[in-house]
Amino acid sequence: MNARTLRALAPLIAVALALIVPLAVSDRFLLKVFTFCGINALVVVGLALLFGYAGQVSLGHAAFMGLGAYTSAYCTVELGWPWLLGFVAAGVVAALGGLILAIPSLRLKGYYLAMATLGFGLLMSLAFIQAEPITGGVDGFSGIPFPSIGPVEFRSASSLYWLVWGAVGIAVLVAHNITSLRPGRAMRALHGSELGAQACGVDIVGVKVRTFVVSALMAGLAGALYAGVVGFISPSLFTLTASITFIAMTIVGGTSSLAGPILAAVALTLVQYSDALIPGLPRETAQTIQSYQEDIYGLAIVLIVIFAPRGLAGLWKRRSAGNEAS
Amino acid sequence: MSEFLQFLVAGLKNGSIYALIALGFTIVYAATGAINFAQGEFFMLGGMLCVSFTDLGMPLPVAAVAAIAATAAIGAAFELLAVRPIAGDSPLRIIMVTIGGAVVLRQLALHFFGPDERALAPFTEGASLKAFGVAVELQTLWIWGLTALAVVALALLYRKTAFGRAMRATAIRRDAARLVGINAGMMVTVAFALAAGLGALAGVAVAPLTQTAFGVGAAIGVKGFAAAILGGIGNPITAVAGGLLLGLLESFAAGYFDPAYKDGVALVVLLVVLFVAPQGLLAKAGRVKV
Repeated sequence: MNARTLRALAPLIAVALALIVPLAVSDRFLLKVFTFCGINALVVVGLALLFGYAGQVSLGHAAFMGLGAYTSAYCTVELGWPWLLGFVAAGVVAALGGLILAIPSLRLKGYYLAMATLGFGLLMSLAFIQAEPITGGVDGFSGIPFPSIGPVEFRSASSLYWLVWGAVGIAVLVAHNITSLRPGRAMRALHGSELGAQACGVDIVGVKVRTFVVSALMAGLAGALYAGVVGFISPSLFTLTASITFIAMTIVGGTSSLAGPILAAVALTLVQYSDALIPGLPRETAQTIQSYQEDIYGLAIVLIVIFAPRGLAGLWKRRSAGNEAS
Repeated sequence: MSEFLQFLVAGLKNGSIYALIALGFTIVYAATGAINFAQGEFFMLGGMLCVSFTDLGMPLPVAAVAAIAATAAIGAAFELLAVRPIAGDSPLRIIMVTIGGAVVLRQLALHFFGPDERALAPFTEGASLKAFGVAVELQTLWIWGLTALAVVALALLYRKTAFGRAMRATAIRRDAARLVGINAGMMVTVAFALAAGLGALAGVAVAPLTQTAFGVGAAIGVKGFAAAILGGIGNPITAVAGGLLLGLLESFAAGYFDPAYKDGVALVVLLVVLFVAPQGLLAKAGRVKV
């Protein structure tokens, strides 16, 4: 089997491996950890579109995740809607939030766009705390029901795992279609040179807004899934720190790639749960790793940007390109 | 009336702090055209280092100067280690490196100083001054005095010394500055050190009034940037004006409406200015043309 067929088969192998995880893993906590990996991966797929393909940045993506999570919680608990309807509403609200931020940000580039998303993220964190009648304030929102679609309820750890990774699979399909067709070429042109793209007739405003809205939508759906899986959400989940974590995953994963950021999302999520991953790991060691987790994210961002700006995906591509040449 | 004056005093107090941080953004922007997303962490480091130095037994003035000098050195090291390797590159990479660097600085502070809130003793003990029904804490006078001193010293440095002229020349045109023998790279390092020192000064000056902790950098950084852009980025005079204006807006919003709005004001100002007039409200900077 040569490298090319291997690369063509890789996505199928990855999907197959992801699907059989619940059959091979009996530990419920570990399965939940892998489910969290999927939720983060869903956010990161959206960010990879925005950052890795279109070259735009968002330092406030946790806000969209929060918008989705609170919308889903409010619709299912307070309004008594079916879960699926709340899930759709979560996507709509997050996408609207993305649209509201994206339209006035159109004129902004680089630093100013980054600052606008950072400010928006911080403002939403304040709003989640202050809007107590809806969000429950600092105490959070509890008693959120498990996800269900019609009569099927996702209660068991393995069914939740399949639900979340199924959503990731759909998001990857959507993102793959976007990137490999005309909009993807427009996005890459934008990343290369905004002026050049404009000169070639790319509707740069439209591409930017649509990409931003799609990535906000994915983050919102991820938030709704998190609310359903855990049953409890609070403002401390949707902070600047969370946004930077997502950025770290996206950067480490690499630009112009979906597989890289997903792998990085899984790997960096597992850092938080080293005790579940390595049985028999002393409690103190696990706690030490946890207390250095953000150092790892911060350092990873700095080192990758300086030494491997195309991320892990870039390193992998360079290596495989070298192999094929030889 | 006395209520109004009290809000005014509080606004100008916080505004001075924002002005110092806005100046930090401005100096780095002028020298490199970049925004340093780690600027707020220098504020945090100043306060935390000063508290730690006094814990070690240093007298307060010595600890304050040492904290500011140490933070300036950290700022220079930050530029050399993290920003220099990608200098002149796309804003995207500089944003990411300074954001990642900010996380690293904050986490280092957490590991060194611990997670607790820390307080610093006031620079001079004594009762608040009272006049026209307004109480002014002595520390507030220190904040105003030190801010004014820093602004004047900075103006003199930039206008009257050969070194300052070299810095301004580099800011105006880097290549031309190189041609006349200015070490442009060093000017950038110095700009980062100056910005870090100003941030640290703000952190030290305000620490006796508001407690400080490892995590305060990000929020104050965004406020400082809001102040800088309110005035129009790149201009030191409007940066100070923007800082004072932002402090007043916050203070009056919190005083007359709801204290809960205080932290939201700067963020709303930031977004509105970015969306409506990213060139700033106070400066007449030219729009970037393609």
